[in-house]
Amino acid sequence: MSASTSALQPAAQTKSTRSGDLPFYLWTAFGLIVFPLVFGLPIFNGYGGLATQILIVGIAAVGLNVLLGYAGQLSYGHAAFYGLGMYGAGLTLLKFFPGAHSFALPIIVGVAIATLAAFAIGSLVVRLYGIYFALLTVAFAQMVYFIVFQWRDLTNGDDGLQGISTPSLNLGVVRFDLSAALPALNLGPFGDLSSIKEWYVFVAIVMFIVIAFVRTLVRSQYGEVLAAIRENEERSGFIGFDVRRYKIAAFVISGALCGLSGALRALYDGSAAIEALTIDTSGNFVIYTVVGGVQTLFGPIVGTGLIMWLQNVISAKTDAWRLIEGIIFVAVIVFLPNGIIGSLRKRKFSFAGLLRAK
Amino acid sequence: MTAASFVQAGLNGLILGLIYVAIAIGLTIIFGMLRLVNFAHGAFYAIGAYVGLVVAQQYGFGYALLAGPLVVALFAVFLDRAVLRFFYGKEPTAQILLTFGIAIIVEETLRLRFGGTTQQYSLPQWLNGSLAVAGLQYPAYRIFLALGIVAVVALVWLFISRTNYGLIVRAGVRDRTMVQLLGGNIHQASTLIFALGAALAGLVGVAASPIYSIDPQTGFNFLIPSFVVVVIGGLGSFWGAVAGGIIVGELSALTTLIYPGAAEVIIYVAMAIVLLVRPQGLLGESEIIRG
Repeated sequence: MSASTSALQPAAQTKSTRSGDLPFYLWTAFGLIVFPLVFGLPIFNGYGGLATQILIVGIAAVGLNVLLGYAGQLSYGHAAFYGLGMYGAGLTLLKFFPGAHSFALPIIVGVAIATLAAFAIGSLVVRLYGIYFALLTVAFAQMVYFIVFQWRDLTNGDDGLQGISTPSLNLGVVRFDLSAALPALNLGPFGDLSSIKEWYVFVAIVMFIVIAFVRTLVRSQYGEVLAAIRENEERSGFIGFDVRRYKIAAFVISGALCGLSGALRALYDGSAAIEALTIDTSGNFVIYTVVGGVQTLFGPIVGTGLIMWLQNVISAKTDAWRLIEGIIFVAVIVFLPNGIIGSLRKRKFSFAGLLRAK
Repeated sequence: MTAASFVQAGLNGLILGLIYVAIAIGLTIIFGMLRLVNFAHGAFYAIGAYVGLVVAQQYGFGYALLAGPLVVALFAVFLDRAVLRFFYGKEPTAQILLTFGIAIIVEETLRLRFGGTTQQYSLPQWLNGSLAVAGLQYPAYRIFLALGIVAVVALVWLFISRTNYGLIVRAGVRDRTMVQLLGGNIHQASTLIFALGAALAGLVGVAASPIYSIDPQTGFNFLIPSFVVVVIGGLGSFWGAVAGGIIVGELSALTTLIYPGAAEVIIYVAMAIVLLVRPQGLLGESEIIRG
């Protein structure tokens, strides 16, 4: 194994990227701290709540990118895992363990259900390629959608789940009510810190961990083999890698991250809607990821942020919003096939190089 | 559950199945010829339906049946020359994304122009009656629709299998490069097939709208089951699309009768089983699995 790994990636490159770890994480943390502040500037017209939603949904896009970007498999069915995480978390608080008052439990249950579903579905779909893979993911996602839709006793069907009261986050010594605002602190043009809820801090920390996880994953031996499979699946199989297991793992990881995103969304919104499971949601994850740039760490987050922010700004003014979204999407596919982040030239400015980091 | 209700459901399934057949044949010949996975095919159906709506109100249903497919065919040629040709032979992922984006643009344009509410158009008087079929009264229009689709499908088959132009098409499905080397105009044939497949969807869009109401999402609602049809039958296979369409139509209709709760999910279960047991589809060729 080690011989083939070094053949896939020159040792020198490994060394130079490793040395970039600390600056990378510092910049990432800085970006996550600054994002809601800059976002609050009058020209951006954003607000703390939107910043939080973008990060939550961004986790799903980062998850989809593990499969689409790094494993090279297009799924039109990841709404299933997002929705299962959402309903799993919501039902934990409403029906499974109504007396638990735990913040972690609904997230664990939601992610667990999504992960199990991703394993079951992933084990079947990885046998197929390209268009067949995409269509089989659609088929399974539609199955999940109709099961949740029909199972009225448990899921309320198309009414969705309402009134999920989010427990406070208990860290032993301190408890956080995440819907509380940060302490008042006037930052001049950046607005007031108290316009941001504690939710943002929590989600930003989760996002930081997700970024670190995916970065480590992609740079690990596993990630290198995945890239080899993406470039030439047959050859990777001949070398001796169990291609199917690598692809199932990628599918499960991406499904689990979508489940995490859904679970957080359920707790944040206090509700779960059946729309989360539709093919539109799957399509949105694909749009976010492709617009931002597949195979880049920050592309999916930038894509999610850009589209969700534009939606927020534009849909208030015109109902042509989704048309504009479609035009942006097609324009990116035709003119920027690598997405926004993927198209930034590395040499022009170093911050772009940082964003392009794999 | 009487025998009559079974016959009724069976007929309903046949009509729905034939509609799927016509849409799926377009998808499958486009895939066979252009190697293009067309997520915008539902949009062709929707454009046909709305053009039909406008023309039917102004000039009558007969003109709508002409105008719908014609407008859609022209739109398809424009689309092909302006954008799609740059994506021929690219990886299927890029094609899926592109046509998916085009489908969104079309759907939203229709929504802005015609509103999001469902609409339906009425039939001319002479089509409104009912006929006695197998001992029960069945709407005459549905029977005409079924016969019409069978006729159109037969024409398409004759075109592909019996004409010189169809020969280029069939050869192009096998080996594009060889057709070019032999002097066949593969690009023209590709555009023609794309327009033909699109026109079929547009025609069905007009013809099916008196039965199924129209809204901007209609196209998408027909697209996904049509993909199920094509996958079950075998992507690129003409008779596979026919068989798959009837199977999917009957499956939905009979399940609606027996166990309505599973009516929508059953076709996806069927598709998943077929893909896992026989990935090339019932009548497909194994060489295309890796497409």
